[in-house]
Order: sequence, then structure tokens, then C-alpha cells
Amino acid sequence: MSRSYLFIPGNTPSMIQNLDVFDSDAIIIDFEDSVTVFEKDSARILINNFLKKYSYNEVEIYVRINSADSPYFGDDVSSLHNLDITGFVLPKASVEGIRELCKLSDKAIIPIIESPLALLRVEDIAKEKNVTALLLGAEDYTKELGIKRTLEATEIFYARSIIAITANAYGLDAIDTPYTNKDNEEGLLIDATNAKNLGFTSKSLIHPNQVEIINQVFAPSLEEITEARRIIKKSEGSSKGAFSLDGKMIDLPIIEKAKKVLEKAKKYNL
Amino acid sequence: MKQHSRQNIKVINSIDELFTMIDISENRNISFHHHLRNGDYVLNYVLDKYKRENINNINLFPSAIFPSYTSILDLIKNNQINNITTNYINGPVAEYITMNGLLGKLIMQTHGGRARSIIEGRNIIDIAFIAAPYVNTFGDAVGYLGKSKCGSLGYCIPDSIHAKIKVLVTDNLVDEKIINPEIIGKNIDYILLVDKIGDTKGIVSGTTEITKNPIGVKIAKNTSVLLNELGLIKNGFSFQSGAGSVSLRVTKDVKDIMIKENIKASFFSGGITKYHVEMLEEGLVERLYDVQCFDLEAIESLNRNANHIAISSSRYANPNNVNQIIKDLDIVILGATEIDYNFNVNVTTDSHQMLIGGSGGHSDTASESKICVIVSPLIKGRIPVIKEVVTTKTTLGKNIDCLVTERGIAINPLRVDLIEKLKDTKLKIYPIKELAQIAYNFTNIPKDTIKRDIIIGEVEDLTYEIIDHIYKK
Repeated sequence: MSRSYLFIPGNTPSMIQNLDVFDSDAIIIDFEDSVTVFEKDSARILINNFLKKYSYNEVEIYVRINSADSPYFGDDVSSLHNLDITGFVLPKASVEGIRELCKLSDKAIIPIIESPLALLRVEDIAKEKNVTALLLGAEDYTKELGIKRTLEATEIFYARSIIAITANAYGLDAIDTPYTNKDNEEGLLIDATNAKNLGFTSKSLIHPNQVEIINQVFAPSLEEITEARRIIKKSEGSSKGAFSLDGKMIDLPIIEKAKKVLEKAKKYNL
Repeated sequence: MKQHSRQNIKVINSIDELFTMIDISENRNISFHHHLRNGDYVLNYVLDKYKRENINNINLFPSAIFPSYTSILDLIKNNQINNITTNYINGPVAEYITMNGLLGKLIMQTHGGRARSIIEGRNIIDIAFIAAPYVNTFGDAVGYLGKSKCGSLGYCIPDSIHAKIKVLVTDNLVDEKIINPEIIGKNIDYILLVDKIGDTKGIVSGTTEITKNPIGVKIAKNTSVLLNELGLIKNGFSFQSGAGSVSLRVTKDVKDIMIKENIKASFFSGGITKYHVEMLEEGLVERLYDVQCFDLEAIESLNRNANHIAISSSRYANPNNVNQIIKDLDIVILGATEIDYNFNVNVTTDSHQMLIGGSGGHSDTASESKICVIVSPLIKGRIPVIKEVVTTKTTLGKNIDCLVTERGIAINPLRVDLIEKLKDTKLKIYPIKELAQIAYNFTNIPKDTIKRDIIIGEVEDLTYEIIDHIYKK
């Protein structure tokens, strides 16, 4: 139910030390692309020592390990053994990779859908054990397709739609791809709003200064909260499965949605 | 338009010529201003003469000392300088004094305290050498015109009136009348014409960019939310933020609130940047009271906008000036090298005891404003900003109201009114010792390695009270 998932390189102590400062609901400590081959071990040692000493209640901590078919996968997972993390972010997602990870850990898994093949198999991926969310990795996805990534994001419309639909169908969180222009606040707002309108529940990000806008976009609005309160109030006073409010039919799915809105509002002090 | 009714000031063409008319050995208390900052040529040019003439027992009164002011170092090493009285000191001179001291002592005043001392005769200046970018033959001068323009000349106005001998040093002498001159010709004794008074690149080298650093952004956001929750951002409020990158981000966030809430400020004061100028031109603030321009946009604005007003350091911050600007200041945002459990702030030395700055207007504005907010990262590098006792007191804790960091805010217990107003806030407010403990969880408590054996200087507040000593490292 997090709104924002902030990537932080696993080999930068100054960022790690401040991981709870930026108001991101979730942090993804990265062992993969932002950590060079020569620093994979130092990142593991740093994070292991850090998370042994410090624990965080107000922020979910995930670690993006290297993919299951990489030589770093096993060491990444074992370095996190017994640490208080929420789960793993698994790049280059595949059913086989998720099953490999499940053999080593029972923690939550967020697979990154970042290849055409993964997109074709996204429903199978969503059904795997321990999977709690789907994350779109648009940079690698468009690279594999050999198409240009644009700030307008029309080239990922289909991928976004399928991932959002699948995640919602299986009760998972749908996490959108990062918006890579860190200085364009207006572009970020449009991009995040577009993702939300397609059914994404949250967005990953690569710079702490993007957190505020993303949290605003993926938080329920005041109107949504007021509406949800009215729906729940009326449902509590009604013995029927469905009823009318302001001329609109309210049934179980709408009531459940209203409950989720209020749950989010409570979690984020809205 | 040429003038004929006033007396021309004697123009001389070299420092050697000047001292054929006055006795250099009778004039050892000399002052300079720092408006040309690290691009200043005048101070080195003049002091080289004192060095060549082997003049001893010099007492220097520069409003600040920058890294390029290397001739001071030569004079100290030659034992020619006795005392230095200044507001800010940074670079090789600062490092040398930290390690060796002076024959006499280093007196760190505030901007307001310096103005007051000169006017009230405590700082007795024999010759004021005033770098002036635009001067007419009658001795009137402004700083916002000319090839070496620097903007306001605020810090040298008291010198230009109260020194025994006043010398304008310029590379731009004109015949034209100057409307509203900052320096008035009737006070001036000599005009010393030189090829160049400064290097433009060094003159506008101040820190004038808004931070994009996420920690700085978070601190600024916490600050603007704090000010808003305290109800301070309202029509007619006054504000000073300086030119630090985090302070400028606070200014931007305050600006966003002002636009959203349709609020107009009465004035901004102190050092002025392009961001303050933008707000003036967008109608968000009525006036800028400028004692120092930090960038070219501010200099240009001072020239063209009647509501951008150059003021003297006395009007800015002298507590005995009835027209003092900062007594009407609502909010000031300031930085800190260290802050202690009693909210005393150090911006004079670093945590290794090295001289790196000084009050400038820090203590002045903290003392006079209605609310003084210190903005700082909780941990700088690996050193917590909060200490049990600061290395050097620059500004007394009784004048500091809030400390805002990325991890939370501490309110001075003396401000029960602020604490009461914030009792229902969602901002993270901690007693300052608890906030320190959050930092110590990462850093532990650093060992105190400060040497306090040999006093080399003192910190003098705007009240003339000596609030701390400076020790040899």
C-alpha cells in the first residue's frame, strides 16, 4: 500500500544513513545497476551492518538484488539473511527466477517486468508465491523492444495497462516505472497522474526530490476520502448488499474500494 | 550634466602620491570594505605600500577578510600588524591567525556592531580606503555602476563619514552628477585613480544557487511549513534569508506559499540575490533593503528599481540607529556551523577550531528579529551540528528561536509561545538534546579536542559585550 518506492544505491553511506528522511513510503536499496561489479561485496557488507544496527518502523525496506541468472544472486540473498527487510525487488523477472528466490527466502517479492517476455507472462508471474506487487521497468523494456523511451510515455501505454490490470486482478500493488528527468516537476506530475489513471497504485523513483509529488498523486484526495466516509457510513446503517447514494448504486466492490481509501488515508495521516 | 557649484575633490594617481601629502606613519588605523569580495584589488594594493614602507603597529579594520587578501598575511608575518577588527574572516589569513595569533588580538564584531563602533568612536579609523566602482569628481559614489560594479556599498558608509581621512579608490571617475549617491562627496578627502579596483568574476562569486540537495530541500520544506504553521507568512511580513543555498530554497518555498495564499511581504533585507529581485519584480514584496548584492541581477536591479534600496550598515543593523531596518524584521533564516544545548550558535570557527567565518549580520538579525530560525543538516559529513557547548559563541542562544534540520525541529524553551502554537503540529519537534541524540545514534559523541590555553581574539556582540574568546589552535 505504499505510494512511493525510492531507489537508493546500496554503496552510498550518506544516502543509506538518510533513508528514512525523504518521506518515501518504501525504500528500494539497490544492489543491481547502480552498484558496479567491483562494489557488489562492499554494498552487501555495508547494508548488512547498517540494517543490523538500525531498524525502521515507518518505512518499508526492500532490496533490489541482482537477477536470479546473475552470478551475484546467491550472495545477495544470503547477505540479507535474518535482516529486518520487507522483501526483495527482483529484476528481469521470470517465473523461474521467483521460484529460485522462494527456495531461499519467504519474504515478499516485487518482480520487475522489464522484458517483452516477462510482459507476456505477467499473469503467471503475478500468481507466484510471495509476489506482492508488480513493478514496470520501462527503461530495459523499451531497450529490448528497440524503441525510444520518451517523456510522453506513449510507447509504454500497453505495458502499463497490462501490468496495472494484472496487479489489480490479483490483489497486488501496481508500481509504475521511475520518471527519469529529476528536474522536471511538471512532467513528473503528468507522468504519475497518467499512471494512476491507468490503475497504478504507486510509483518508483530515482531521486528523493520526487517523493512529495508522487505521494500527493497516489494519496487519496480529500474528495475521495469524504466520499469513502459517506459510503462506509451508509453501508454500516444498511442491511442490504447494495444501496443507492446520491442516485448511484453502491455494492460490495465499491464498499471495499472505499475501505481501502480510508485505510490509506489513515496510514498517511490524511 | 556637469556640476560647477561644488568643490572638486583632489584626484591622485598612485598610493605613493597619496603618501607624499599625508604621513603614512601617522595613519596606522586603516579600514576597507569587502563589497568586492574575493575580486578586491584595493586592499592588497594599499597594504603593499605599508609593507614596502615597513610600517609597524598597524590596526586593520576591514569589514571582512577574504582568501584573496593575501597582503594581510605578509604584514602579519612581518610583525607589522597589531590588531585586526573585522566581521568575517576566511582563507589563508584566517588559518594563519588560528595557528599563530596576532601581536595584539583579533576582534570579531558584527556588521551592526562595527557600524556602531565607528560612529560612536570606539573604532578609531585614521584612513578609510574605499573601493568605489563609480565616482564623480565631487566625490559622490555608488557601487552599482562602472566596470567593477558590486552593488550596494552599505558596509563602508560609516567609514566614509567618520574616518579621519577618507580616500575613494576608483577605476571609473566621471564628471556626471550622481542621483542619490551612497557616498557623499562632502565627506571625501581624496580620490585615488587606479587602473582596476577588482576582478568582476571574484566580485560576484557569492553562493547564490538554490539547493537541489535532497537534505537541503527537506530542511527548507520543514522550515517553510514551520513558518506557515506559526502564522508568520502573512500580508505585510518582513523576511531575511541571506544567500546560502538552503536559505534560498526556504525563500522559494515561502514564495510558493505567498503565491498560493495571495500574500505580499513588506520588505526583504540584508544580502540580496536574483531570487529576491524576482519576487520584487513579481510584486510579492514591496521593498528590498540592500546592504550587499550577491549577484549581477541584484546589482542591475539596484540601478533600475526605486524600491530596491541601498542602505548603510548602520541603518541596516546598528542598534542605536533610530531608523534601523532589522528592528522591524519578522523572520530571519540563518545557518550554523554548530549549535549547542543552550542554542548558542557558532559560525566563527569550525569544529576543529579553525577560523572560517564570523558573525557578519548573524547576531544582529538574530537579536533584533521577531523569530530567528537556524537551518542546518543534523549531521555534516560525520559531525553532528548539535554539541553540548559550541566551539565559539557567535550568536547567543537567547536570540535563537528554532533549529530546523532534516530529521526534526528544536524550539528554544524560552519561546513558550512558539511551543504552545505548535502543540498540535505534525512536524517532528524534539527537545534539542533529543535531536542531538538522533545524530549521536549515527555518529556517537565526537571527542572534544578544542584547546583553550592561549586567547588570540574575542567575539564582540552588537551590544559591545564580549561573548566569547577565540583560542589559538
